[in-house]
Amino acid sequence: MTSVTAAAKPASKTAPSSKKPRRFLRGEEITAWWFVLPSFALLLIFVFYPMLQAFVISFQNYNLVGSTRSFIGLDNYRSLVTDRDFLASLRHSFHFAIIVIPIQTAISLGLALLIQKKFKLTGLFRTLYFIPVVISTAVAATVFKLIYNKEFGILNNVLKTLHLPTTNFLSNPDTAMNGVIMLGIWKGVGFFMIIFLAGLNNIPQDLYEAARVDGATKIQQFFRITLPLLNRTTAFVVIMTTIDAIKLSGLVFVLTSGGPNGATETAVYYIYKMAFQQMQMGYGTAAAFILFAIVLAISLVQMRLFRNAEH
Amino acid sequence: MNRFASIAKYTVMTVLAVISIIPILWMISGSLRPYEELFKYSSSLNIHLFVPVQPTLANFKEVIFSEGNPFLRYIANTLFVAGIVTLLVLLVNSMSAFAFAKLRFRGKAVVFALFMSAMIIPGEVTLVPNYLLMNYFGWLNSYKALVIPSMLSVFGIFLLRQFFAEIPDEILEAAKIDGASMSRTFSSIVLPAAVPPMITLALMTFLGNWDSYLWPLIVINDEKKQMIQVAIATFSSVEGTDWSKILAASTISTVPILILFLFLQRYYIQGITMSGVKG
Repeated sequence: MTSVTAAAKPASKTAPSSKKPRRFLRGEEITAWWFVLPSFALLLIFVFYPMLQAFVISFQNYNLVGSTRSFIGLDNYRSLVTDRDFLASLRHSFHFAIIVIPIQTAISLGLALLIQKKFKLTGLFRTLYFIPVVISTAVAATVFKLIYNKEFGILNNVLKTLHLPTTNFLSNPDTAMNGVIMLGIWKGVGFFMIIFLAGLNNIPQDLYEAARVDGATKIQQFFRITLPLLNRTTAFVVIMTTIDAIKLSGLVFVLTSGGPNGATETAVYYIYKMAFQQMQMGYGTAAAFILFAIVLAISLVQMRLFRNAEH
Repeated sequence: MNRFASIAKYTVMTVLAVISIIPILWMISGSLRPYEELFKYSSSLNIHLFVPVQPTLANFKEVIFSEGNPFLRYIANTLFVAGIVTLLVLLVNSMSAFAFAKLRFRGKAVVFALFMSAMIIPGEVTLVPNYLLMNYFGWLNSYKALVIPSMLSVFGIFLLRQFFAEIPDEILEAAKIDGASMSRTFSSIVLPAAVPPMITLALMTFLGNWDSYLWPLIVINDEKKQMIQVAIATFSSVEGTDWSKILAASTISTVPILILFLFLQRYYIQGITMSGVKG
């Protein structure tokens, strides 16, 4: 409420002197503020205020159970940078990101190229590739838990049939992350395929015709035309995948609960554990801020890199 | 050579399509098997790996009418919350999008920049303060905590603004001359012109809420009020070994959303395309 009057009043004072447009503008201005107000209030209450709060809480020793709060300056941050569990959780998130980014980007670009040219079954294939995106995280993780099962899971059946060694990915700390990665890729590929498809459709077809006339092979066309012109799309896909990977939590919650032996505990999982299981709100929030700084830095660096590559 | 290439292409495409949907088909077929049968045919690759020998609906019956885990109730809870959130998201964000696209007001650029800058703030950072806020409002364990903070969709404002901007100003001027108020113009001219992007936003919001896990896990304690995803995750860790029932519960929660998607996928995919091209 206050923001409406506060914003509308100075406006009417400084409005231009000609009378008619002024009255018209004032009416429009008030209406406009009424239209913006609901979402603006939500933005201030549930995004900006919590962000400010998070900043303050991250400098506090804030335990929800005893409801004790005290200002401790940089202590949370200082402890976090030497906290082995937190650093391990960051490492797990990066491990996931580093493997998922190239594989997922390559597969989704490949799929987009395969279904780009329209033929009878394009729609069907596109839908089939996209279905994992729609399957909810909890269901996908539950079903994959069973698929990975050593005795009964289909994955191990396929491995057995191919005379490969069978394993239960999830119970071995060395391979558990691979189980999470495979599920992540299975679920994510369709989404980025659609984005690549949109990017591919923006490339003018006459470029390819000209290249064909000049005798360029398909492979040359791909590396000289398709890839360079997809630069912006690729940048978007890589940034999105990186950020999603670093914020990874849902899959891990259901698939492994961070185990075995903490091997799949990601940064967001660690934040949740600190804040809502051990009730160390300040410590958890400081960890969240470090995560935010990392996400922000990565997207800025990537945007710079891709912008430079464009020229 | 060309023929060979196209055979290779179709083979690759088919293999990938099979990998995409096998887990889901297997889940559905597993939910239709008695427990003893579930692992009987899993030792080798044969037709019965996917086709139940003795199909049964017992798993569904048990899951649906179970006292401890009434899955229909979780689904009803989730439908209710996701439905209300979707309606409110459409209303609240289309209003702002209209103001940003078509109305002149002082401070517009600054306010719009504030909205856009919110896109870089991940929900994980504000998780703790938002939880404390819910606690302070006394909304913990109530659907208000799920509905009200979810009403804002910065992406929705961004998406709808693009569409509203394309509506010719002349039409809005004409309505104004005919004496229509701004809200009248909005509801009877602007909104009807933007049905496809509204469906896009509705579908994205609905699916997003259907899938939400971490926030309900934190703010809802009463089991009877819980959302479907948390219920499934808890169910599979509590039941542990009764995989037939777990698969039935997962199938129950997947089929409605899959049907919704298959009917409206055009709009959903449009929304994703928008976010990629503009991003």
